[in-house]
Amino acid sequence: MEAVALALSLALPWALGIAVLAALGWPGEPRGGAIAMRAGFGYVVGMILLTLWMRALSAAGIGFGRASIGLPLFAAAMLLSAWAMRNARLSIADFRNAVIALVRPSLKGWQRVAWIAVIVWLVVHFALMSAEIVWRPLYPWDAWVQWATKARVWYELGHIAPFVHADQWLAGTANGYFDASPDYPATMPLMQVWTCVALGRWDDSAMNWPWLAILISLTFAMYGAFRAEGIAPLTSLFGAYFLATLPLVDVHVALAGYADLPMGAVYGLAAVAFYRWSVHRDNRDAIVALFLALACPLIKNPGWIWALTIVPGVIVALLPRRGLRVVVAGFAVALLGVLAIARAQPTLLGYHLKLDFAPAWAQLVKSYYLMGNWNLLWYAVIVLMVLGWRRLWQPSLAPLAVVVAAGLLFLTVVFSFTTAAAWIADLTTANRASMHLAPLLVFVSILLWHRMTRDSVETAPAADSAPVSTSM
Amino acid sequence: MRPDGLSLKANDASSAVLISVNTSLRSSDYPVIAWKTSGIPDAAEVGLLWRNDYEPGRIFNRRLDVEAGRVQPFSLLHDPNWVGRIVGLALAVKGVSGEPILVQSATAKTMSPREILGDRIGEWFTFEPWNGASINTLIGGADTQDLPMAFALAVIVGLAALIYRALARWRPQWVGGFRPVIVGVLFLVAWIALDVRWQWNLARQVMVTGELYGGKSWRDRHLVADDRAVFAFIEKVRINLPPSPVRVFMVADEHYYRDRGAYHLYPYNVYFSPWENAMPPASAVHSGDYFVVYQRRGVQYDAANRRLRWSDNPPVPAELVFSEGGSAMFRIL
Repeated sequence: MEAVALALSLALPWALGIAVLAALGWPGEPRGGAIAMRAGFGYVVGMILLTLWMRALSAAGIGFGRASIGLPLFAAAMLLSAWAMRNARLSIADFRNAVIALVRPSLKGWQRVAWIAVIVWLVVHFALMSAEIVWRPLYPWDAWVQWATKARVWYELGHIAPFVHADQWLAGTANGYFDASPDYPATMPLMQVWTCVALGRWDDSAMNWPWLAILISLTFAMYGAFRAEGIAPLTSLFGAYFLATLPLVDVHVALAGYADLPMGAVYGLAAVAFYRWSVHRDNRDAIVALFLALACPLIKNPGWIWALTIVPGVIVALLPRRGLRVVVAGFAVALLGVLAIARAQPTLLGYHLKLDFAPAWAQLVKSYYLMGNWNLLWYAVIVLMVLGWRRLWQPSLAPLAVVVAAGLLFLTVVFSFTTAAAWIADLTTANRASMHLAPLLVFVSILLWHRMTRDSVETAPAADSAPVSTSM
Repeated sequence: MRPDGLSLKANDASSAVLISVNTSLRSSDYPVIAWKTSGIPDAAEVGLLWRNDYEPGRIFNRRLDVEAGRVQPFSLLHDPNWVGRIVGLALAVKGVSGEPILVQSATAKTMSPREILGDRIGEWFTFEPWNGASINTLIGGADTQDLPMAFALAVIVGLAALIYRALARWRPQWVGGFRPVIVGVLFLVAWIALDVRWQWNLARQVMVTGELYGGKSWRDRHLVADDRAVFAFIEKVRINLPPSPVRVFMVADEHYYRDRGAYHLYPYNVYFSPWENAMPPASAVHSGDYFVVYQRRGVQYDAANRRLRWSDNPPVPAELVFSEGGSAMFRIL
């Protein structure tokens, strides 16, 4: 019975997100990968909507419960799905065909064998992470000192209660609770609350299932986004596999409770939707991108900055001729601004800005290239960026390249001019902050690889690499 | 003696710990000595001592490096005193106090290619269980590695790609024209190899986790977890707390116990010092609050006058609710 409750707790936001995207008619074009994209983006969109609903309930003085949370959202999902079906934007047959294509692909020979092997291998990955979620009590430090603290209080109270800083709590002037980071956003604790509400009891292991759902949804979304770019099914699957098997990403599922993976997922998918808009200029892509970008600060406080990194991309997309110059000038001004602000040594979003340029490069290189955190991701990123530099700045990729550059610049500033430099030295922050950018880096790397190999094939007429089509 | 090795502790930091073994090995066959140890402070002075059959009355020594609590292997290939038959080896450690160190084994290595390869693979596939740092970083095998697997595979893929590119340019009759997909396949194989290592490690971790927590209820899982002692204590505290929301102060010397104890106290309105071992000001403690002390020095209770005192604060009227070992729960009057 509890397994059913947990399954429903995951299915509700998933169904809601898919229904909303279907009602929106997103993704619009009939190319491959539409169902996978909808399934992938669906959970993340639904998760944000569900927590927004919980905030609304709490503001209205309605207690959290299966009925108050679940029934209205279930009804909304059903109504939107029915409307989408009536308008031919959602089809059961499409989903059925997608599932069939997943388990019985229309590939031939070794490609079919490789497809099935990768799917089975991914299932093994997810099963192993599931076992850790099922068995292990909440383990990583910050998870129980600043995230689940809120979840526990809000679950027991049945509504959101404020958390305040130590001085306010000790003064007794504010009627609030205290934990290590009272300013942290509510989204992920609310997801934990919802899981426990659905389960019917507090369980600090089971409440972490959403982290696995996020990784699975990211895997689907990446596959779908690659397919939508015309990348062959098997290459798309390997692209998604690269993301799903990044060791540190897997750790954040197995030892769930931190908001870094959700941050990376929301930001990464926002960037993917933005990229689609920059290429196709479909307003529906813009709506999804805007929604996810605005949701970034609801996941972690630096989400504001991550959301802002998309703005330079928008400028380049809107001003293809002058945009790059405008953005480069903007980066320079922003950097000077940071340096000017740093003279006052303020604390922004928890990072203490200072003028000392003291990046711990050695530890960063160790983290990215020598240790077991990222498999070969950072090697691939650097090689592809160098070899594909020219293609990266072609009109179709330039807006996304600028977003990546802005993201890397943000990480560089954080690692070089803030207290985070010390946290890199003891390996506590560098990898987690980098995780916010990891899904986007995988996406850009595969896109770039595709462009490079496609150009190579186009200049070699004898080569035969026609992609095999599949309906997923 | 522990199941996993010899646990050693010095009387004080100035004393040395010495462990010796009788040997009979040809120095020319075994140029490297590797002690398997853990828990050795990086600042400790560690030396390798040996005797040979040329000068059996003389003891030779060399300073050893320590990294991440482990003594690093040492090559004596060019040491003039590493000659003849080695009849005794010893490890001396100075500067160890507090936590004991663990010495698991000493290995004389031939440094043959096969042994080196075996050592590297052994390092890569050494089980890396979850620890407090796992959420931030993964080492990818043994704590210290001479050649990390990711770097080794990246170099192999890079070199193979360069050789392939060169052959495709200058010897196309051998390999045909350059096809980037070949490089992609090389990269993919390397990625899968690293992923297999990672999944193997995760599978082993899941077995350990399953053995410890599998089949247990939520409460029973907590009762066997790392913080079982503080969880059990907080359970008793919760029994003695009223159902209505009350303010609870949680103090402990150990950072982990303080924060973890507070976590188990929610949804009570709990206060704790998340980052440093600081006590709350007495002025912030009000009648009706509860004060939970878990293994915290410097907190004194005067039972006769029912007064609780800590640091330089004035005494606070309080009632002992219960105590257990070095821990107690008070109600502020």
